[in-house]
Amino acid sequence: MTQTITFTFNGNPIHCEEGQSIAAALINSDQRELRKTRFGDEPRSIFCGIGICFDCVVVVNGVANQRSCLIEAHDGMKVESAQ
Amino acid sequence: MKNPDAIVIGAGIVGASSALSLTNAGLKVLVIDRGAVSSGTTGAGEGNILVSDKDPGPELTLALHSRNLWFEMQEDVGDSFELEAKGGVVVARRDDGPLMKLATEQSHHGVTIEKCNETRLHELEPYLHPDISSGVFYPQDAQCQPMLAAAHVIRTVVQRGGEFISQAKVTRIIVEDCAVVGIETTRGTFRVPIIVNATGTWAGELAELAGSYLPIAPRKGFILVTEPTKKYIFHKVYDSDYVANVASSDADLQTSTVVEGTRSGTILIGASRERVGFDGAMSYEILRTLAAQATSLFPVLRDVQLLRAYRGFRPYAPDHLPVIGQDAKVKGLWHSAGHEGAGIGLAPGSAALITDAILGRDSFMDGAAFSPARFATVNS
Amino acid sequence: MIIVIGAGPAGLAAAEAASRNGSEVALIDSSSRLGGQYWRHRSKVTGYRSNRADEIFAKVSAAQSITHISEANIWSAEREGNLIRVNYLQGGIESSLTAEKVIIATGAYDRTLPFPGWDTPGSMTPGAAQSLLKGQGVLVGKRIIVAGTGPFLLPVATGLAEAGAEIVALIDANSPLRWSLSPLALLTNITKFSELVYYVRLMRKFRIRPHFGRAVTTFANGVATISAVNSGFHIKSGKSQAMRADVVAVGWGFVPDLSLGGILGCAQRVDSDGTVIFEVDENQLSSQPQIWIAGEATGIGGADLSLIEGEIAGLAASGQKIRHALLTERVRKQRFANALKRSYPVRDGWREWITSNTTICRCEEVKSQEIKDSVSELGAEDSRTSKLFTRAGMGLCQGRMCSRNVSEIVSGITQCAVTDGERIAASNRPIAAPISLGQLSDGKNSR
Ligand SMILES: Cc1cc2nc3c(=O)[nH]c(=O)nc-3n(C[C@H](O)[C@H](O)[C@H](O)COP(=O)(O)OP(=O)(O)OC[C@H]3O[C@@H](n4cnc5c(N)ncnc54)[C@H](O)[C@@H]3O)c2cc1C
Ligand SMILES: Cc1cc2nc3c(=O)[nH]c(=O)nc-3n(C[C@H](O)[C@H](O)[C@H](O)COP(=O)(O)OP(=O)(O)OC[C@H]3O[C@@H](n4cnc5c(N)ncnc54)[C@H](O)[C@@H]3O)c2cc1C
Ligand code: FES
Repeated sequence: MTQTITFTFNGNPIHCEEGQSIAAALINSDQRELRKTRFGDEPRSIFCGIGICFDCVVVVNGVANQRSCLIEAHDGMKVESAQ
Repeated sequence: MKNPDAIVIGAGIVGASSALSLTNAGLKVLVIDRGAVSSGTTGAGEGNILVSDKDPGPELTLALHSRNLWFEMQEDVGDSFELEAKGGVVVARRDDGPLMKLATEQSHHGVTIEKCNETRLHELEPYLHPDISSGVFYPQDAQCQPMLAAAHVIRTVVQRGGEFISQAKVTRIIVEDCAVVGIETTRGTFRVPIIVNATGTWAGELAELAGSYLPIAPRKGFILVTEPTKKYIFHKVYDSDYVANVASSDADLQTSTVVEGTRSGTILIGASRERVGFDGAMSYEILRTLAAQATSLFPVLRDVQLLRAYRGFRPYAPDHLPVIGQDAKVKGLWHSAGHEGAGIGLAPGSAALITDAILGRDSFMDGAAFSPARFATVNS
Repeated sequence: MIIVIGAGPAGLAAAEAASRNGSEVALIDSSSRLGGQYWRHRSKVTGYRSNRADEIFAKVSAAQSITHISEANIWSAEREGNLIRVNYLQGGIESSLTAEKVIIATGAYDRTLPFPGWDTPGSMTPGAAQSLLKGQGVLVGKRIIVAGTGPFLLPVATGLAEAGAEIVALIDANSPLRWSLSPLALLTNITKFSELVYYVRLMRKFRIRPHFGRAVTTFANGVATISAVNSGFHIKSGKSQAMRADVVAVGWGFVPDLSLGGILGCAQRVDSDGTVIFEVDENQLSSQPQIWIAGEATGIGGADLSLIEGEIAGLAASGQKIRHALLTERVRKQRFANALKRSYPVRDGWREWITSNTTICRCEEVKSQEIKDSVSELGAEDSRTSKLFTRAGMGLCQGRMCSRNVSEIVSGITQCAVTDGERIAASNRPIAAPISLGQLSDGKNSR
């Protein structure tokens, strides 16, 4: 049995299966836009899905530019689009 | 271009600035490079335009004037290369005596300084390590994006009637009766009475092509580039050990950190100095040392990720002074090279000096200390 | 000891082969699961002949002499006398491992081409759609267009359909008739037909219609433009069509990740299709002593070829005899890989799909016009100088996504072909994975 865990994305609770990546959990919750770009303020989501492109970067527990497609979600994690 | 008045060899920042000042003086200038614009050391430079790291003497005089010429060049060429009078903060970690003494001397030679107590220091740089309590603020220190600068300057030269030929390697300098008459390149032969050798680290090879001699050697440096971050660093911040390193002749590795933010949000951390020829190998030990020094200045950088590291070869002369002036043996061969770790900062000043010398006019300073003749006795 | 970097088909086969004579193997991978990009699944493996994966997983797990070091991101490697040290980050801490021998099997990632809208959410690589599904159990969208070129589009489209997505279209820019250029490769790889039949059957079942000679040339607000393109990828006028989709998954083959081998000085060359790959000898030995390379990093050829190359590298590194049959098998598979290159070329007509405002460097948000200006106004002549002027390729991904495209755009303006030197320089990076300055400096104190 996989466990359900909860983390927050920009303050909102997101529920997902233990072991899922942050990006997978967010997309599964219909939260496709992960961040806005630095200069053009354009929305971005996952692109390569395997840690190469860095489009999916978010702030995880205060640490910036973390690839959400690689990092597993943990219970109580605080994920934000920007600092 | 048929019959240029002068050929500048090298499209780095030194060659570009020289070409601009010669063009502005009314000469028809051809610039030649074996690669593209900014493809040499200028493409690896950090863009610091520093007065703070120089001891009183000819180099400081050149640096102060050159710094002002940077702003004039910006007016001439247009605001296109991110020039910014950002100011430098030099901190002393242990004994601040030597730093304070240097600052006082510098202030007698035209450098604006502000000695900072702990409160002032941390007002200037709020993320600085809390234990660091003494430093000097140098508001004249500036910064630019050197590759863009060289490109925009060359573009202006071309707009004003000059020409730039890339991918043309100079293979021969034709000398008759101890005077330059032309050059051969991989893209053609040109007749010309005046050559400016602005080939930086490779200037010795060029001198050799003309049957002369210049002792310019490479001094390797690494720079770390981080991911874009929040604004943590507001000036160029470095450790006062840096000044001692710059002037050192020791071949061994020296590292002392200069940390600065850039407009794009990345932080640059430099730079190591090492005399190991053109050995480009990556040394992770050096990266670790630079990172350790930077994080000890700014603990907040511990969580910031390193994106890349790159290296370049500073053009370096045995006495650490640039070589600016006419060749000791060959008439019409002018050198402006060997600016080591300060070629960006010193470029427009050197260009003014060499232009004045070529035209036989008075200049803003006596350039005797930079004369290539200082090496002539060694090897002739 | 032998360090095997990468636990995809090539790395798994290498580790397994080396362990046959009891050699100590450390198998290091950045993921928590074995399998690499193709076989990394949360649940049951699906796809053609996927039981191969199970067999090798079982062997590797059973082998006493193989230690699997998972979730370890290798960021650098260096020589120390006769040893090679690899430095990696695991759980936020830097560690390192030294060995006499290293096998590099770091694989590849999807190659992408820019088009207007490729930077909006919903546009992604086929690999992303597939890894989200197989690795995470998440379906990226409801109405999906799978496009680009190559046989890899088949498992992606059918996999997504099996999971419940509607595949609006499966689009390949090349014509299947190009296979007629490689009759020998087809004849000697007859088994590939059954793979094709397997996927065609699935496509029928899910009513997926393939379109050839077409490409997704714009994507905005849930609508993709599908343009007819000729063999040079130039858009044929008057033949485009709009399709609604919430996801467009577009990929153009694969690009190997050369960072680690490059750091260790392993020689590289440019393959016939412009891809930079490592040079290896008949035993998969690189130009550097004690370093073998296998899998996509020596040429894109798919999982089957990766398995054989990995096995050869593992046997060679552990000093075991390599059966002649294995070598001929590799030749056969390489012939097929070459046929793939011939059948699914990427032509430079794509440069006409982009407009002045199309993002080329996604990280630094550099637009196509800025790249063009860097050439025509500032004198950039290659991707390196263009990067210095525009920042294209200087962002977080360090040009992994854009540098090849920037080279092609610059070359389109200068009319000078991209040199091998430029391609190789643009494929190498001194830092293979990001490391924080804190981790980097702690590494100094620990030595
Ligand atoms: C890591 C590092 C950091 C630095 N940071 C700073 C800094 O912050 N501030 C600062 O002021 N300085 C800095 N420097 C130093 C500065 O970059 C150099 O002093 C400066 O760029 C030298 O400029 P240049 O024009 O003389 O040489 P280059 O830029 O090297 O130009 C010489 C040109 O000559 C061409 N050439 C060579 N041989 C031939 C030939 N045979 N035919 C045709 N062309 C030829 C080359 O292709 C090249 O383009 C740094 C240097 C390094 C390595
Ligand atoms: C997302 C994706 C999906 C694919 N799906 C299919 C498919 O369905 N069918 C098909 O035929 N082909 C597929 N491919 C093609 C695939 O590349 C090959 O078929 C096969 O996986 C290649 O095997 P490999 O062992 O060479 O490399 P990979 O399978 O790519 O394995 C390389 C491994 O090395 C690890 N690695 C890389 N660098 C480092 C580092 N610095 N530190 C630690 N570990 C590292 C990676 O995480 C990875 O696990 C896919 C490719 C991608 C990118
Ligand atoms: S989607 Fe590319 S790094 Fe996460």
